[in-house]
Amino acid sequence: MNRRTKLAVALLVVAGATLGGMLVTRGDASRDTATLSNQGGTTIAISGLRMKLATIRAGTVLATRRDRVFYRLTTVSGEQCFGVGVATDVGTPGSVMCQRGFPSSGSPVLDLSVYEGTRHDAKEFSLFRVEGFAADGVAALQFFRPNGDVALTVPVSGNVYSAASPPKGPIAGYAAVDKEGKRVWRSP
Amino acid sequence: MKRFVLFVTACACVAAVAALARPAAASASWCWPSCGGYGLLGQWTSTYTGCWFSSGEVCSYYNGWFNVGMAKTCYPGCDWNYRTTGVVLYGFENHDRIRGVFTDRAETVYTRPSYLGLSGLTRAQVTWYAGTNQVNAAAIG
Repeated sequence: MNRRTKLAVALLVVAGATLGGMLVTRGDASRDTATLSNQGGTTIAISGLRMKLATIRAGTVLATRRDRVFYRLTTVSGEQCFGVGVATDVGTPGSVMCQRGFPSSGSPVLDLSVYEGTRHDAKEFSLFRVEGFAADGVAALQFFRPNGDVALTVPVSGNVYSAASPPKGPIAGYAAVDKEGKRVWRSP
Repeated sequence: MKRFVLFVTACACVAAVAALARPAAASASWCWPSCGGYGLLGQWTSTYTGCWFSSGEVCSYYNGWFNVGMAKTCYPGCDWNYRTTGVVLYGFENHDRIRGVFTDRAETVYTRPSYLGLSGLTRAQVTWYAGTNQVNAAAIG
């Protein structure tokens, strides 16, 4: 093998390793700096979820806000999920999201807010209840009207947010803001 | 003959064990587009079963549902945070209102009627809001 061939092989190996590394880490939130510093309490048993695709038997309570409990959950296959339920029935979340991209700088909010529509002729939705999870650095959530006005600002505490009585009227999206009030991310 | 009887007995025992090991079947179930595949939910998709929206929605029949689950894939594409090109509202509806949670991510989600503040007979629903969504939806009661 002459020197030129050796150099070509070495270049190919380096290029392959670089490309492989890019493909392996693609979408991996662990290389992202976004975190949830709230680790929750002790692990508790989770019941009431008859879910074929994501069997969940354990989780931790991240926070309790008013009558709502916020959970970090783990499927039997190790996937991370988040859920919210009522405080009178701890261990039984009423809604669960299993999302690989959260938390990350491109996905700092996991919104479990409930929307309501009462019109058949338009896909216009208002807030029925506001709650969800937010990464470190998100100080509040702003919910917008279709014209861009802020309808509601909900503070984030312990990586969760909750508002029981949101204002009536259509909502067109939401944004995460930092402690200076600067928008750091917004929903589609 | 003796060997045949033994074979049949063994088969019967295996079948009995398998039947006992299976989880109890739910009293009712609904899947879209099927219980084993994904479908494209678009602006004009409909189950033509009298859903809240005449198009851009798939819904079940009325029942006392326990929960609805939805698996949304990356098709036709995701960014690095698993954000897809589509947005859907999944949840339940009754004669007066439709309620649900929005998502634009490739993920697996579940919600119960009580979480949405609904009770009694409801219809499980998944409603198109934007883009292209490849989903499988299922409800159990």
